[in-house]
Amino acid sequence: MLTETMEEVSSSSRMATGLPVIHIGMATCGLASGARPLLEVLRKEVAKRNLDVKIVPTGCIGMCHNEPLVDVTIPGRYRVSYRNVKPNTLSQILDSHFQKNEFAKKYATCQIPVEGSVPYEGLIMMAEMPFFKGQVKIVSKRCGIIDPLSIEDYMGMDGYKALEKVMTKMTPDEVVQEVVKSGLRGRGGGGFPTGMKWSLTRKSPGTEKYVVCNADEGDPGAFMDRSVLEGDPHAVIEGMLIAAYAVGNAVKGYLYCRAEYPLAIKHLRKAISDAKARNFLGENILGTGMSFDIEIKEGAGAYVCGEETALLASIMGERGMPWPKPPFPAQKGVWGKPSVINNVETLANIGHIILGGGEWYASYGSEKTKGTKTFALTGSVKNSGLIEVPAGTPLREIIFSIGGGMVEKKIPFKAAQLGGPSGGCIPVDGLDTPVDFENVVAAGAIMGSGGIVIMDESACIVDTAKFFLKFTQDESCGECTPCRVGSKIMLDILTRITEGKGQEGDLDELVRLSMYVKSNSLCGLGGAAPNPVLSTIRYFREEYEAHIRDKRCPGTVCNELIKYVVIEEDCTTCGLCEPVCPTGSVTWEKGEVAHIDLTTCIRCKACVDACKFRAII
Amino acid sequence: MNETKPVEVDLDDIEEICEGFEKREGSAVQILQRIQEKYGFVPAEALELVGDVLGIPKSKMYGVLTFYSQFYQEPRGKFILRVCVGTACHVRGAGMLVDKVKEELHINPGENTEDMLFTLEPVACLGSCALAPMAMVSGTAYGKLSPDRMASLIKQLEVEEAAQEQEKETV
Repeated sequence: MLTETMEEVSSSSRMATGLPVIHIGMATCGLASGARPLLEVLRKEVAKRNLDVKIVPTGCIGMCHNEPLVDVTIPGRYRVSYRNVKPNTLSQILDSHFQKNEFAKKYATCQIPVEGSVPYEGLIMMAEMPFFKGQVKIVSKRCGIIDPLSIEDYMGMDGYKALEKVMTKMTPDEVVQEVVKSGLRGRGGGGFPTGMKWSLTRKSPGTEKYVVCNADEGDPGAFMDRSVLEGDPHAVIEGMLIAAYAVGNAVKGYLYCRAEYPLAIKHLRKAISDAKARNFLGENILGTGMSFDIEIKEGAGAYVCGEETALLASIMGERGMPWPKPPFPAQKGVWGKPSVINNVETLANIGHIILGGGEWYASYGSEKTKGTKTFALTGSVKNSGLIEVPAGTPLREIIFSIGGGMVEKKIPFKAAQLGGPSGGCIPVDGLDTPVDFENVVAAGAIMGSGGIVIMDESACIVDTAKFFLKFTQDESCGECTPCRVGSKIMLDILTRITEGKGQEGDLDELVRLSMYVKSNSLCGLGGAAPNPVLSTIRYFREEYEAHIRDKRCPGTVCNELIKYVVIEEDCTTCGLCEPVCPTGSVTWEKGEVAHIDLTTCIRCKACVDACKFRAII
Repeated sequence: MNETKPVEVDLDDIEEICEGFEKREGSAVQILQRIQEKYGFVPAEALELVGDVLGIPKSKMYGVLTFYSQFYQEPRGKFILRVCVGTACHVRGAGMLVDKVKEELHINPGENTEDMLFTLEPVACLGSCALAPMAMVSGTAYGKLSPDRMASLIKQLEVEEAAQEQEKETV
């Protein structure tokens, strides 16, 4: 099993010091790109050459599109990073470093500074790369740098120092004040000031209090929390410990993680057991008299459990259905006791805020959204991956500087979808929107937990809205009618439109229903479910109208609306399209222009792909 | 329908699973997860027994079981093909992967193949959006898939399984 492999690797790495180190990216994105077989090859190559090196698995540095990543650090020199490493390039990389004492120019991506070491000449620094230049790494600072399974690695980069500081030098009130000063707001999407949440829980009467970490990152297209949990799990544990101290000696913490993240759960388990072994968790922590333990609760596949009251219900073994607030969790949470619930990224920021100071953290960001925010940048963008930027960074910079622009140069940008199923689409005109809580809302989307999916002109806006609504409709827990039934009716209308059966008045009906569902649903899921529909009608009304009136899908996505035709002028009468058609809808005679029978055509695109002359569209 | 082998559910086993949890009444979800780990699904008998052991009405246990999409009331295939249909995978052609599995194995989402080797389970986001479209089988993630690569992955799993079966027989 992988975890055993990683444990084995990391324990061997701990024993040796002063040796060359080879880091290999083994977060989920690395593994999906073939890091596991690569590790085997690496071991064999190292054994074959009799090299005395440490092989260290690490988390995600954010360049998911470049995985698998392998870094080589020779003592006294900077760390060199290689991207898209394949077994056969590995051998050349090792040759360069261990025989020629240089880096493999052909494959190197960048170098990362190592304190007291010498840089290589002729290789760009990581911080100078376009992908990293606009980024400020605070919460993701250690991801991809350290071995997530090694508590020593974490402690070597200021780990658990913030805990020590609060326990020895700060009163709980001072801790709360520091977080208030930092301006940190809930990174799960809600944006509620964290300091205020802590202060409310602190003021709630009672000695039995709980800390809950929301790691139920359910938004499709978002993986910021996964990267932090896999790459720097101790940061979350330390954040929970500090929260426990600040709200008034909370007795226990629950970490609710979605079951779709098996690697994150494995890393967390290891981190918790290592933290216990060093008495950061458990009884009488570091001799201070405080006791705190963390239990992992695995989700069971329900998106609505990301909503805080539903999450609490699920922790208590019930159906994960939200309850009306008040009472707020700060007053009545887990087992009816005061509880503070924070998201993974929020908690992982705490240690940095305590060490750097609230003012330092607040020096980043925009007027109302302080600090940095991580985003999962995906879709039709060149550099997809995990990024961290100061709040308020314009969308244009995120997509075109850091993201490197569109993946297909010829197909232009159409829209950026922010905030997942509760969010909306921002069109070209909105590219200069500063990405923070307030400005994104004004533009019709939400910053949410941080998923940004880029769409180009080949995407269909109506299909996208339908996709999200289908998701929320599936995930509606059914408790309140506006969400359960309203979203179903809206989905039916959207489905009809994408099938070419749209009618005049459909858009008005969609808007009317949207407003109704928004204002009458109990929790955030229903309250935000219509957002993808509303924002796309606001910016892309013509595209809806093309579907409804002209029965045409401009992005050629909606199957029923695609009509493949042969362009007579471009057809060379070669006949390549005829035999590939699985339904016999393409007819062709030698020397004649081919013809497609649309009544039997299943829109499989086989003929389009077969035509070398782009004569079928 | 697939033939389902009757499963022997032992009360001792269920009690043993429940023992491990301190706040037992609040651990229904976790206990069901352990049961599913043991049997591959949650057999109806087991559900009744858990309710008895925990002192929770059967109706409530059934409510919890059916609320969460990751609990199954029927056996499932050896390999669960978890095809991601999240946003990033959707815009990059996840639908074609699902179609390919349907075509190759003649099963719909949520169904098992007759030999109980495969189950098709589309899931909303596995969190590796940069490698879209992707899928996960037995905890292993496969990124940048195409319909053809999906088909060869299925083939590969079938071949490995056949080899293992043969090995068992020769032993």
